[in-house]
Amino acid sequence: MTRAWVPLVGLAIVGVLALAALLAPSLPLGSPTDISKDLALRGPTAAEPFGRDDLGRSVLSRVIHAYRISLGVAVTAALLAVLIGGPLGLVAGYAEGLPDQLIMRPLDVLMAFPAVLLAIALMSVFGTGAVLLASALAVVYTPVMARVVRAAVLATKVEVYVDGARALGATVPRLVLTHILPNAATPMLVQTSVLMAIGILIEAALSFLGVGVRPPTPSLGLMLADGRGFMLQAPWMVIFPGLAVMLAVLGFNMLADGLRDWLDPHQGAGR
Amino acid sequence: MSSPWIYAARRLLLAVPLLLGMSILVFGLMRLVPGDPAVVILGYKATPDGVRALREAWHLDEPLPHQYLRWLAGLLRGDFGLDFRQNEPIGRMILDRLPVTLELTLLAAAGTALIGIPLGLLGGAQRRGFADRATFAIGLVGVSIPDFWLGIMLILGLSLGAGLLPSGGFVPIAESPLENLQHLVLPALTLALSRAAVLGRLSRAAVLDVAQRGFVQFARAKGLAEHAVLFRHVLPNAAIPIVTVLGLQVGYMLGGAIVVEMIFTLPGVGRMTLDAVLERNYPVVQSTVLVIGAMFMLVNLATDILYGVIDPRVRRR
Repeated sequence: MTRAWVPLVGLAIVGVLALAALLAPSLPLGSPTDISKDLALRGPTAAEPFGRDDLGRSVLSRVIHAYRISLGVAVTAALLAVLIGGPLGLVAGYAEGLPDQLIMRPLDVLMAFPAVLLAIALMSVFGTGAVLLASALAVVYTPVMARVVRAAVLATKVEVYVDGARALGATVPRLVLTHILPNAATPMLVQTSVLMAIGILIEAALSFLGVGVRPPTPSLGLMLADGRGFMLQAPWMVIFPGLAVMLAVLGFNMLADGLRDWLDPHQGAGR
Repeated sequence: MSSPWIYAARRLLLAVPLLLGMSILVFGLMRLVPGDPAVVILGYKATPDGVRALREAWHLDEPLPHQYLRWLAGLLRGDFGLDFRQNEPIGRMILDRLPVTLELTLLAAAGTALIGIPLGLLGGAQRRGFADRATFAIGLVGVSIPDFWLGIMLILGLSLGAGLLPSGGFVPIAESPLENLQHLVLPALTLALSRAAVLGRLSRAAVLDVAQRGFVQFARAKGLAEHAVLFRHVLPNAAIPIVTVLGLQVGYMLGGAIVVEMIFTLPGVGRMTLDAVLERNYPVVQSTVLVIGAMFMLVNLATDILYGVIDPRVRRR
């Protein structure tokens, strides 16, 4: 365990960002929405380390407020995927046969599209906004989560201790909940963390492209789209929101990476 | 069961229902658009005559299953229907833009392999050394960089800043191969860098994994030179996971290309999709989403088959 610090640093990054996002309104920051033409395109200073945008708004304040949307969408989407994909994978893996086919084949179709493309297609039909974006991502993630849980259930249910519990007269719900499901928890946890990282990337990308969150809401992707027009005069408008996306994604990736090594020593051999 | 051809044929057959499912999903999704599809498709230019003409041309009055079968029959003949906004066949529009996306993807795949594999070998060859640590860090940071932001930074640094390469636009290869390449270097690099980081990390893990196997230790024990051990025993075995991951990454690049084509204003299928989405031009969205999705699925399938051909153990599953 030479790299035990990796998940801890990841957890710290995610924790600090989440706290900042939650407390954003009460932090001593400038307003993320107040426009002041006099301050437009001001570079970074000690008081405003990220500078100001084309409308004179504080980039730092906007970045921190944008994390509310960014993390909110990523967490909601991943949790929805756990809530929907988890039970589907559990039933498919435990029952096998026809129920397995009925559940997994349609999910295969969803997985046959690139995630970004499917999310864009869903958003084009259902409209823009944070709630719809989280729902679209949940649709994209559900098959991934279902596969992870199904694989864990398939591997676990043939274990001798499961047979033992069954022989002792354990009912199916008891068997599933106390003996099989706990073994799916590790891969689910790792996958949730990975999906949150991807969720932050996709939210930023879709908002950047104009099919994610709607403009008055501060979003990292929207900030990048605005900043593109001022790249040369005010590079801080594109540098800091991008770094902010990267930091959050890095945090979740480190968390996932460390969890994988930590919770599953078998796979750690080559790392 | 053991022949790679039977394995490949079986996998190809399984792709048919998947493709059908994908077409049903795309078709169904586009029918969920709220409002009269004819009015939505024509947008602000909708006139009663136009709406009537489009209803007839797209057979919007027929029951949905008929509409779907008609669309599917058209697809099988290579007929994607007419784009009512541009008055051009959608199939030809896609064919015009496909070479751009394919060239971008191929260049990016080459870049990924050329950067990622040496990075992984360097890290894997010297476990716990400096190169190993660097590969680990690059891999972690690389996965976390948003494509589109990397593209913006490359434009800011290399084209607007240093003036080395064009920041956007496209020149067909037939017109000027050099200019064509100049316009594709930055977009391909944008797509390649983060994937190269991932590939480097996985190559490293693959090399380390093979290096501790018994046959490698035996080769070393019988006195084989270190480079011979690496090239004759470690690499051929590590190649299996490396090729697989590279194949999967080519698939993901098709998704990433949408964003990259938009930033670098490349006239590819990805940008065509996005433009159509923003214009609510659903017949076009329906076709391009299916085409990109099918390519993604087929690349993954090809990877799968290749994996089975290289590694006979896979075929037995």
